[in-house]
Amino acid sequence: MSEKIVYMDYASSSRVDPRVVEVMLPYLRELFGNPSSQHSASSKMKNALEEARAKVAGLINAEKPSEVVFTSGATESTNMALRGVAFRNRDRGNHIIASKIEHISVLNTLKYLSKNGFEVTYLPVDKYGTVDVEALKTTITDKTILVTVGYANNEVGTIQPIREIAEIAHSKKAYLHTDATPAVGKISVDVVKDGIDLMTISSWDMCGPYGIGGIYVKRGIRVEPLILGGGQEGGLRSGTENVAGAVGMGRAAELAKVEMASDAERLSKIRDRIVERVLKEIPYSFLNGHPTRRLPHNANIRFSFVEGESLVLSLDMEGIMLSSGSACSSKTLEPSHVLIAMGIPHVEAQGSLLISLGRFNVPEDAERIADVLPRIIKGLRQMSPIAPEEVR
Amino acid sequence: MYSQKVMEHFRNPRNVGEIPDADGIGKVGNPVCVPPDTDIIAKDSAVPIRAINKSDTILSHDGAFHKINKRFSRAYAGTILDIKNRLGNTALTPDHMVFGFKVPKGDKYRYTRGKKKLIGDLAWWHACELDKGDMVAYPVPNESSDISEIETHVEKSEHDFKSIEIPPKIKVDGDFMRFAGYFLAEGNTRIERCKTYATLTFNTNEEDNVMDVCRLVRNIFGVEPKIERRADRKTVNIVIYSAHVARFLRKMFGGKDDERNVPEFMMFLPLDKQAELIRGLWYGDGYIEVNKPRASYSTISKVLAQQIKMLLLRQGIIPSVYEEKARVSKGVRHRKAYRIFVLETPSIRKLSSILSVGFNLKKNPRSKAWIENGMLFIPITRIESMEYSGFVNNLEVNVAHSYVTPSLTVHNCGDLMWIYIKVKDNRLEDVKFKTFGCGAAIATSSMVTEMAKGKTIEEALKISRQDVADALDGLPPIKMHCSNLASDGLKAAILDYMKKKGITPPEGIKIESETEEKCDI
Repeated sequence: MSEKIVYMDYASSSRVDPRVVEVMLPYLRELFGNPSSQHSASSKMKNALEEARAKVAGLINAEKPSEVVFTSGATESTNMALRGVAFRNRDRGNHIIASKIEHISVLNTLKYLSKNGFEVTYLPVDKYGTVDVEALKTTITDKTILVTVGYANNEVGTIQPIREIAEIAHSKKAYLHTDATPAVGKISVDVVKDGIDLMTISSWDMCGPYGIGGIYVKRGIRVEPLILGGGQEGGLRSGTENVAGAVGMGRAAELAKVEMASDAERLSKIRDRIVERVLKEIPYSFLNGHPTRRLPHNANIRFSFVEGESLVLSLDMEGIMLSSGSACSSKTLEPSHVLIAMGIPHVEAQGSLLISLGRFNVPEDAERIADVLPRIIKGLRQMSPIAPEEVR
Repeated sequence: MYSQKVMEHFRNPRNVGEIPDADGIGKVGNPVCVPPDTDIIAKDSAVPIRAINKSDTILSHDGAFHKINKRFSRAYAGTILDIKNRLGNTALTPDHMVFGFKVPKGDKYRYTRGKKKLIGDLAWWHACELDKGDMVAYPVPNESSDISEIETHVEKSEHDFKSIEIPPKIKVDGDFMRFAGYFLAEGNTRIERCKTYATLTFNTNEEDNVMDVCRLVRNIFGVEPKIERRADRKTVNIVIYSAHVARFLRKMFGGKDDERNVPEFMMFLPLDKQAELIRGLWYGDGYIEVNKPRASYSTISKVLAQQIKMLLLRQGIIPSVYEEKARVSKGVRHRKAYRIFVLETPSIRKLSSILSVGFNLKKNPRSKAWIENGMLFIPITRIESMEYSGFVNNLEVNVAHSYVTPSLTVHNCGDLMWIYIKVKDNRLEDVKFKTFGCGAAIATSSMVTEMAKGKTIEEALKISRQDVADALDGLPPIKMHCSNLASDGLKAAILDYMKKKGITPPEGIKIESETEEKCDI
């Protein structure tokens, strides 16, 4: 058995950076106070909260810190963006455009909206997972109030032409929301330059704490709050603020801003090494997603003739943890909707392996996975009735 | 998520593999298919997949001919893709795998960068992954066997008292092959009482050919042909008044024009002999332009068209095959025809050297196709998606697991779980499996083999999905349906065994996941 656990599933969950935990601890141990109160204990909390907000705003280059609203996490942010915009702007239209490869939180919120009188159009993607911009141009109408396209795909890592999409959306006065969960803190995201109106931001995806997230709402955007109450967060998100969480997320944003470039370089090297070795050493293995326009920490490789869950279980036995886009590993028993939208056949999509690296991966990890994969794949193919003789 | 027992069977699956001489094989899953009218390249012809027999040996991606183990048919409703290239078009289900490689977007229709040919990952691609401009690989048959003579074996009919005898054996040499070409192109036989003869018809301006054919007839059959000139029709008929020759030629090359074919042995002769056949064909009915890269041959026999394609490919000549629909032009009815073009300079150069005609073309335009390592590489020119509803078929091909249509090389692919059984004295002596699937699929397969081994076939038939799940200390509810096919596979294997032995299965035995697919040969 292997000496050390290799974790390559940072798209599912990430370790909180110890430097983040450190700054949070005082707020969990001794510091307390409601930021909305008037006494000095609370003003300390208020300052900490605003400082954290400024750090998150700084990471995404928002014009004003107040454009960042803290929520309970990315899913809530997405819900707020979609539902908030849809219901608040009903007078302007009822049409929403999304891509077929959005995160499940986007898709299910849209499903809810379409049950409530909104029309949703889903844009196709090409075989690399890039959204069809021409299709957007032809489907957008004056009734379109919102376009939502993820900044980069969390499964296959393809980075979308957000700036171009924003221009098209704005030409019809529609808002642009982007779920930037897998992108913020990993690649530079500039909400002003990219023309983003609303953006979902995750905390744990950048090694911040769980239970907190953020949404960027550009000043002047009409959006309805999801949660009503004491009118915290500029009235957009009521409920006593999670100061410890916000401080942690702020610290994570601050670290990401400094370390993003070097992390990206380091992780993409590990990633490229894995891809290079695996594609070379294993026949019938293919890289899913865009070859260059992709997140630096993501690789999605598919292996013909094997099934992903078996692959994940086999790797787990070797102490290597990652995910698969296979149907058997999903709750719905459908293979990844992203891979299917990219035109990858069902049987092939079953054999995909999602490798998502994070801050704590080291170069040796690449060798570990590349060393064991050929043997595991060969073993599974030996068992597979659909594998051609030469790879068994 | 999984019980310890499931994980134990997954980690250490029992009885993985095949039983080569299995008494029964059960397959469950979803196969990929082609419509029943799809032609499959067999040793001496092209046969629609619905009519293929177990005795047929068919071409595979390795350039060799292999036996068919099975043919499947099932009902299918949904999208099928029609992939077209210069050799024709083939419709298949989107998951069906095609041999070829992807061409990067910027390189479509270039195929070379610098002087290097762009050969991507030659692999099996799902039909739906391919795009216009991607290259498909098509095998050039590589088997060869020379024979020096054949027996004529013509039976005398009962009213025949005076026919001239022909030699009992004929030399298979260049001359005979060239005559074969002439006859396939221009020949005809008439077999009626007292009117049995063979003819070859040429134009009045083809005097060289007429002389050549007359000489060949004399040398090969020892029969003096008669020349009938019809100035009104501008034709010259070479008539061979010999019932034996006529019967021999009909047996060898088929009767009606649309049934013309090259006999199987000729398809495997050495290249120099086959070149003479091509020469005869082209002299007889072919067309070659020496100033432009263009040559063609037209026939109404589908089989002959496919054979000429293969003969040319073996010579390193790249053909294109077009179907011409039946039409009426200037009051003349034209039947559905197959036109074989040779359009590219290197190919025309080879063809003109076989035909001994001068070749004037100076320009050497870039080729869009090439032959390398026994494979022809040609681009996809169109992919159309259409809705289909009806039966579809697939084959299981020995060794190579692939077969060839007139235009594509496709994988035989198939079921996701196979169970093999060996029966002795009504007991399952051995059970093995192969599975493409998740942890639960592998564990249930492994478990069912353990459970079934040693049981009588009646006992084994009683093993249910629930029994397998229970033996594994349960499966997650979500896996109970999709991954618990092993008991079905076992039942299918036992039913296969009973069918082979002519045993009637006990009443009420039903495969729980019953697919519509059935093995029909």
